[in-house]
Amino acid sequence: MALDASSALAEASTPLVRNAHRLDGDVFTMLAAIAAALCATPAIAVFALSLRPGEATAFGGALLRDGAFGTLALTLLGGGGALVLGATAACLVSLCRFPGRRVFEWLLVVPLAAPSYILAYAYGAATWAGAAPLAVQGFWGAAFVYAIGLYPYVYIAMLAAFSSQYSCALEAARTLGARPLDVFWRVALPLARPGLAAGGALAMMEIAADYGAAHHFGVTTLSTAVFRAWYAHGDLRGALQIASILLLAALVFLWFERRARGRAAYVGRSTRLSAPNRYILNPTASVGAFLFCASLILFGAILPLAWLARLALLHGNVEDIAGPLANSLILASAGALGTLALASVIAVIGRRGGALGRSASYAAGLGYAVPGAVIAMGALGAFTLLREAGIVGGLSSGIALSALLWAYAARFSAAGVQPIDAGLSRLAKGLDDSARTLGAGAWRRFTRIDLPISAPSLAAATLILFVEILKELPATLILRPFDFDTLAVRAYSYASDERLLEAAAPALLIFAAGLAPIVLLARGIARLRAGERHP
Amino acid sequence: MALSRREVIWGASAAALGACGRRAPAPGSYVNVYSARHYDADRALFAAFEEATGVAVRVLPANAEQFTERLRAEGDATEADLIVAADAGNLWRMKDAGLLANTTSPALESGVPARLRDPDGAYWGFTKRARVIIFNDQALEPADVATYDALAEARFRGKIVARSSTNVYQLSTLASRIERLGAGNARTWAAAVRANFARDPQGSDTDQIKAVAAGEAHATLCNHYYYLRLARSEDPAERDVASKVGLVFPDQTGAGTHINISGAGIAAHAKRPERALQLLEYLVSDAAQTMLAPLNDEFPIRPSIAPAPELAALGAFQEEDIPLDALGRHQAEAARIFEEVGWR
Repeated sequence: MALDASSALAEASTPLVRNAHRLDGDVFTMLAAIAAALCATPAIAVFALSLRPGEATAFGGALLRDGAFGTLALTLLGGGGALVLGATAACLVSLCRFPGRRVFEWLLVVPLAAPSYILAYAYGAATWAGAAPLAVQGFWGAAFVYAIGLYPYVYIAMLAAFSSQYSCALEAARTLGARPLDVFWRVALPLARPGLAAGGALAMMEIAADYGAAHHFGVTTLSTAVFRAWYAHGDLRGALQIASILLLAALVFLWFERRARGRAAYVGRSTRLSAPNRYILNPTASVGAFLFCASLILFGAILPLAWLARLALLHGNVEDIAGPLANSLILASAGALGTLALASVIAVIGRRGGALGRSASYAAGLGYAVPGAVIAMGALGAFTLLREAGIVGGLSSGIALSALLWAYAARFSAAGVQPIDAGLSRLAKGLDDSARTLGAGAWRRFTRIDLPISAPSLAAATLILFVEILKELPATLILRPFDFDTLAVRAYSYASDERLLEAAAPALLIFAAGLAPIVLLARGIARLRAGERHP
Repeated sequence: MALSRREVIWGASAAALGACGRRAPAPGSYVNVYSARHYDADRALFAAFEEATGVAVRVLPANAEQFTERLRAEGDATEADLIVAADAGNLWRMKDAGLLANTTSPALESGVPARLRDPDGAYWGFTKRARVIIFNDQALEPADVATYDALAEARFRGKIVARSSTNVYQLSTLASRIERLGAGNARTWAAAVRANFARDPQGSDTDQIKAVAAGEAHATLCNHYYYLRLARSEDPAERDVASKVGLVFPDQTGAGTHINISGAGIAAHAKRPERALQLLEYLVSDAAQTMLAPLNDEFPIRPSIAPAPELAALGAFQEEDIPLDALGRHQAEAARIFEEVGWR
């Protein structure tokens, strides 16, 4: 209140600055509104299309009931697993010292490069051949694949959260004589809560939206129910109604997630003076930590990839893959940058509060909890309106690519907003207020304070978006132009024809293409931690 | 590491501009195909067509249900000329949605048997596949599973695996039964087979064969070509699977084995309908049919063309004789029955 008054005073006393400020603020607000609208339109179109009058749905209530139960059970088990695995890993490499820690720090993100559906196929095939160390099938198989494939979301968000200010707080607690467990429960965990909530939310929404792995393992979820209504019953409207339930559930979930994250606002600033002192683990604990981290990488990446590599080698030749690789990289880069731009504006306006801020963050969150094919249907619905209004023609190459980038933004902006927002939550409140007092407008504060401060989080967001889009299949499948296959499309084409040997090479390439940016950026995040800029 | 404001903004606008830019150039003559078939054989076929005619084939491979919605959304502005899909059920749905144009020509009429095409000419079959029974040859004799009805017998309790009925092949299998024997009979059969399941439906046709080979179940339903592919897979473990199972063309003393088609039709709003027709006629021509037979494991659309040797080795069999549009007409009912009996 007092701060608002002082900034109002500052505005009133300098008319020139005030005008610039207002104009600037208006432009920024408008940008934010446009970004939010862009992200939300396909999801809103799904709602609208599901409300069209039509015949009663062709499927029974049992499908809905089983789907809701399956989604709930898988998000709790798979998402809970990802949360525990990711949080444990992040705490170990951030707070403790044990052999291999420095390598694990960035290696632990690697499973993020493998799409759930590919993990599911690889584990399914290996289990059948008796080569998997554990039988990965059915419901438990799906929960396992989600936990092991998605824990990096939690890990990355928490790694970023543990950087900068945190080491100072931990240091202070330690200096004041707190025991390690107390430091963990009373300082580290509360400080990491935004990261934990953000990463956990991403993993859970990803599970809710996933079709490939759940379908492969024969689990009925709301997402597989969407496709059952659509494909088996030919009832697209009913399918979109189920998708709307997912959308509503996502809204409720986002509300809880924001509460779980709390209204934490931190006063203080990063000193970045010294490398954090990590707890030195005793030999037994060191071995335990090492084995834990190693097994995450083993199960999340090495085993399934080794199996795919075996299949690819058995098949031998790789059918012309250069084009799809280039297309994948182009789409993932353009999609990640476009989505990041929207996501950063939305994250900042969300932080600044107000009705627009709140609705913008919800708008961005919507698309993440529904399957990409549903968002693509929403985008097609919106496209139909534009076409009927005579604004666009058919889905020619340019229009198709634009629609695709739009669908990516609608689907994945949450994956960008969450980490950026978690980063911004560490922004010392005083900084923004000082800038306002000094007459800095909304846009200027966005570019000079918010963006630089959340640099590690922006990096995390870029990483996640690039890899998400690289892995994305259904929206790409349906909205791309002619003769424009991506790696995921190529892998799908073979896999849908049940040619796993041929599908293995493009699947491996998706992983390989995602690996380099992931590792680079993960190392960047690690290096950006307080005091570790000069190794 | 930190993306500067400029990088973010320019990157995004460049991407947006690049995407909104020009329409695709049209070099020479071409025809656009939406295809739900993802076979290398088809690519070879399209390449041969380009070679023969100078007309380039631009393909958008995607899933049939999804490009149906794309076609619907595009309306009369669509770029698609020819639509290719596996399974008559999918083709019927597209026809039902008004997305296919009726067409005919002497070459099509003489090339495609009447039973394997739409009566109005909306779609034309160009390959055939059979829905066969695969059994574990340690556990069973071919005579044990000589009919689809056998899968429903109580002696197979806990011994049958099947793919999800979200898949159109299962829908069409049940739809053919509805056509021949009525919905009541179809429902009883589906419920009894469901009661025999060793596990909830999961995985693909190939996964069912693998489960049978592993002894997890004794029999399953699948399309015939998945068996052939396993039999000559580059993976020795897969060849081993094929060696442990046998294949039966069911109902040889009765109505015959359920067969289905891959087919194509001309898009209702095709911009190049004459080229689409040219490609469609090519697909059923002797040249293409002869070329396709050894490249993929489906049956040629006409008996006069010899199937691939491995396929011929499976022996001749009697085909179920129902009009294929029945598979579409009964599809909704089939889905409802599967839902009711809990075969998802």
